[in-house]
Amino acid sequence: MKKWTTLTLFILLGVLLLAACGSPAEAPANTTTNQPAAEEPAEEPMAEPTEEPMAEPTEEPMEEPAAEEPTEEPMAEPTEEPMEEPAAEMRTDNLEGETITFYHFGDLSGPYAAITGPLVFGMEDAVAAINENGGIRGATIEVQFADTGGSVDEAVAAYDRFTGADDNAMIMITYGSGEVEALASRFAEDKIVNLSAGLSAVGFYGPDSGYTFGLGPIYPDQFGYFLDYVTANWDTIKPATAGDEVKLAYLSWPGAFGQGALTDETRAYAESLGVEIVAEETYDLSPTADTTTAILNAQAAGANVIWTNSLAFGPAALMNGLGALGLQQDFILGGCNWAMDLATYAFVSDPALAAGLISPFPYLWWNDADHPGIQYAQSLFTANERTAGAQNVGYLLLVAGVDLAVKAIEQAIDTVGFDNLTGEAIYDALTTMGPVEPLDGVVRMDYSDGVRAPRFSQLRQIQGGPDAFNVLQDWTEMPDLRPVFDN
Amino acid sequence: MAVLRPAGDFDTSYEQDMSVIRKRWQWVALLLFLAALFALPAYAPEPAVSLVNRIGIAIIAVQGLNILTGYTGQISLGQAAFMTVGAYISALLVGQAGWSFFLALPVAGLGAGLVGLLFGLPSLRVKGFYLVMATLSAQFIIPWLTRNTFPNLLNGAQGMNVPVPVIKLPVIANTCFLGTTFDPETAVCLYRFATPNEFIYITLVVLIISTVVALNISRSRLGRAFISVRDNDLAAELLGVNLFAYKLRAFFIAAVYAGVAGAMLAHNLRHVNSQTVGLIDSILFMGMLVVGGLGSNLGPIFGATLVTLLEELATVLTPILITLMPDIAGGATAALRPLIFGLALMLFLIFEPRGLAYRWTLIKAAWRLRPYAR
Repeated sequence: MKKWTTLTLFILLGVLLLAACGSPAEAPANTTTNQPAAEEPAEEPMAEPTEEPMAEPTEEPMEEPAAEEPTEEPMAEPTEEPMEEPAAEMRTDNLEGETITFYHFGDLSGPYAAITGPLVFGMEDAVAAINENGGIRGATIEVQFADTGGSVDEAVAAYDRFTGADDNAMIMITYGSGEVEALASRFAEDKIVNLSAGLSAVGFYGPDSGYTFGLGPIYPDQFGYFLDYVTANWDTIKPATAGDEVKLAYLSWPGAFGQGALTDETRAYAESLGVEIVAEETYDLSPTADTTTAILNAQAAGANVIWTNSLAFGPAALMNGLGALGLQQDFILGGCNWAMDLATYAFVSDPALAAGLISPFPYLWWNDADHPGIQYAQSLFTANERTAGAQNVGYLLLVAGVDLAVKAIEQAIDTVGFDNLTGEAIYDALTTMGPVEPLDGVVRMDYSDGVRAPRFSQLRQIQGGPDAFNVLQDWTEMPDLRPVFDN
Repeated sequence: MAVLRPAGDFDTSYEQDMSVIRKRWQWVALLLFLAALFALPAYAPEPAVSLVNRIGIAIIAVQGLNILTGYTGQISLGQAAFMTVGAYISALLVGQAGWSFFLALPVAGLGAGLVGLLFGLPSLRVKGFYLVMATLSAQFIIPWLTRNTFPNLLNGAQGMNVPVPVIKLPVIANTCFLGTTFDPETAVCLYRFATPNEFIYITLVVLIISTVVALNISRSRLGRAFISVRDNDLAAELLGVNLFAYKLRAFFIAAVYAGVAGAMLAHNLRHVNSQTVGLIDSILFMGMLVVGGLGSNLGPIFGATLVTLLEELATVLTPILITLMPDIAGGATAALRPLIFGLALMLFLIFEPRGLAYRWTLIKAAWRLRPYAR
């Protein structure tokens, strides 16, 4: 008897809950679905069809948590259409007292800490300098950082933390390919611009992405760019032991970053250039990784070119391995942009082993001392008394990245006014501003026509000591190897 | 440890003897606690809810490990690999085959369980450190397979995006119930578990189910057989316990738990690849179990909570340390996380080797026996 009473109570409770949580399921006026409400002629059609039919007030007020979330918005690519006409009194200047927050998160306590530290320093120093000079039209930039320890789980948690605390989070800077890939759909869904140093093609062009923009070219483009150079100059650069054919070994870390350059598009491109990928090996994401097996397998497969998508101790492990095996002269060694960095030298047993590395270099370098952008970055670095170890690509790229963000935000403010400033407005600014050269041309971007990562780069080679990142090929457009997804 | 009760507090029926929650006030306290958990989105900030989600998923994975290692004594370092299996199965079923997440979740668990059986086969021949090495192989083989096989399906190292879990309800009397919203494309009412505040309901429901199941396994014939295998396998075999069958069952159950946890993690992150969970996570799970207490149903809850919070502490401390001492960035900071975890593990092994659950039992006993307890 007691059971039946309890059951009846639960059923009653359920009915009450259903009644309390009900909401009318009216379809939008323009819908063509077979939803019952749509078939009933409405006396007064809605003036403007919306994507959220539940927004209309109902006779029975109810809690509607899902109606507030932005996830109901379609994931379609934001259009290039002009934005709303700004109000006449919109604020574009004299924004003293206002704050614009830059959120960023990356790995400071995990395997990528060596490269993330300088990225964070570059960000902080650049923002501090801008604030000292009046901020963005008077508005102060605030920086919020979260350490992810290299874990995607932590990155998502950081994202949740930031978006939970700020209903109008507009811009975030990220540093890892894994984070970018995992969060790309969230950035698009929440309409938050993500400037990323994690250059995963999937993060930029994958399904449900759209709000992620690269601070450097995607890895497939970089790989293709390297292959272009190698095949065009093979006769002059090939190792003495190599034949006429370019045979490539892809030796890299496992995971999103390490395997980021090896896509269907790059495989097809390599084939079209007559490059045969004869070996694909991975080695540990560890400063003590042993690459002997990977190198010997590459040699056994007849490889004469090696590509690595790794950084700091990643390329260093290959250089050390090649040196230990006495095979340095038997291979052309290429790597993504992060490979050619001072962080690599920290892990190379002999600096001479780094000589010969070829990398796409989509920015200027510290030894381009005559360039005003480099001079500015150098002045920040010196003024903030950063240690020599931090003077690497990460610092420079983030100083440029902050400059890019400021330019985009200023354009967005000019268009919609500060009070209407959102991630969507910044997105529109980035995609309509055309070619842009942050830090007076230290980097070159153009995010128009659906492109979300820079497509121009130099190619450099280490020819001597750590400062000798010499230009092999000046700024050139890279091959377009963007992945194609069924969005 | 014997359950210490004050004089006069004794059982008068078998039902009482078997009951987990003995007093009415304990039921009230439990229901209030659950109500507080389910109401978390109403009063806690979203980052806190997000943290509870992560803790909940970790608890489920460690509960599985507890059955295998805590109750059956089979040490495994493959739990994260089985999570990967569950994550991929659910991602494929929901993302590619269009299944409902709620149907894919148990299937992901079962799929991971079958894979767990394969890696449990060596347990017939080896135990101790040798079994650790055998299970460690799962941690290398499974991620390798996800990276290098079926590239068109699994998308290699890049992995795949995982859809948000969705509940679809029919439109009744032109109305969407239970907080769902009308989807014009499919003409049904939808509820998306997209944010931590929404996903928490999945986490809590699955966590309650997994806890009840784990609790009952440990109190059943199966659980007693597991314990006998752990305590003295030769004696257990002489008493008629089929060692191989029970070890395999333990591997299966542990992997089912891992598969469920992996599927939830993938849908919570909305992405999965071969590195979403890795060897370090398997080690962390083992550490959680040691810190919480092996062979105790509360152990996984205490351990996963404490270790996840310690991990969180590392991410909070690192930026502060770098602000104070910029020179240590990238070097010492990279060591902070394993340092904190290692230190906690070491301290527990020295001062409380039976874990937090045992300490909790002592506290409860002391409370019951007050004022005579010391």
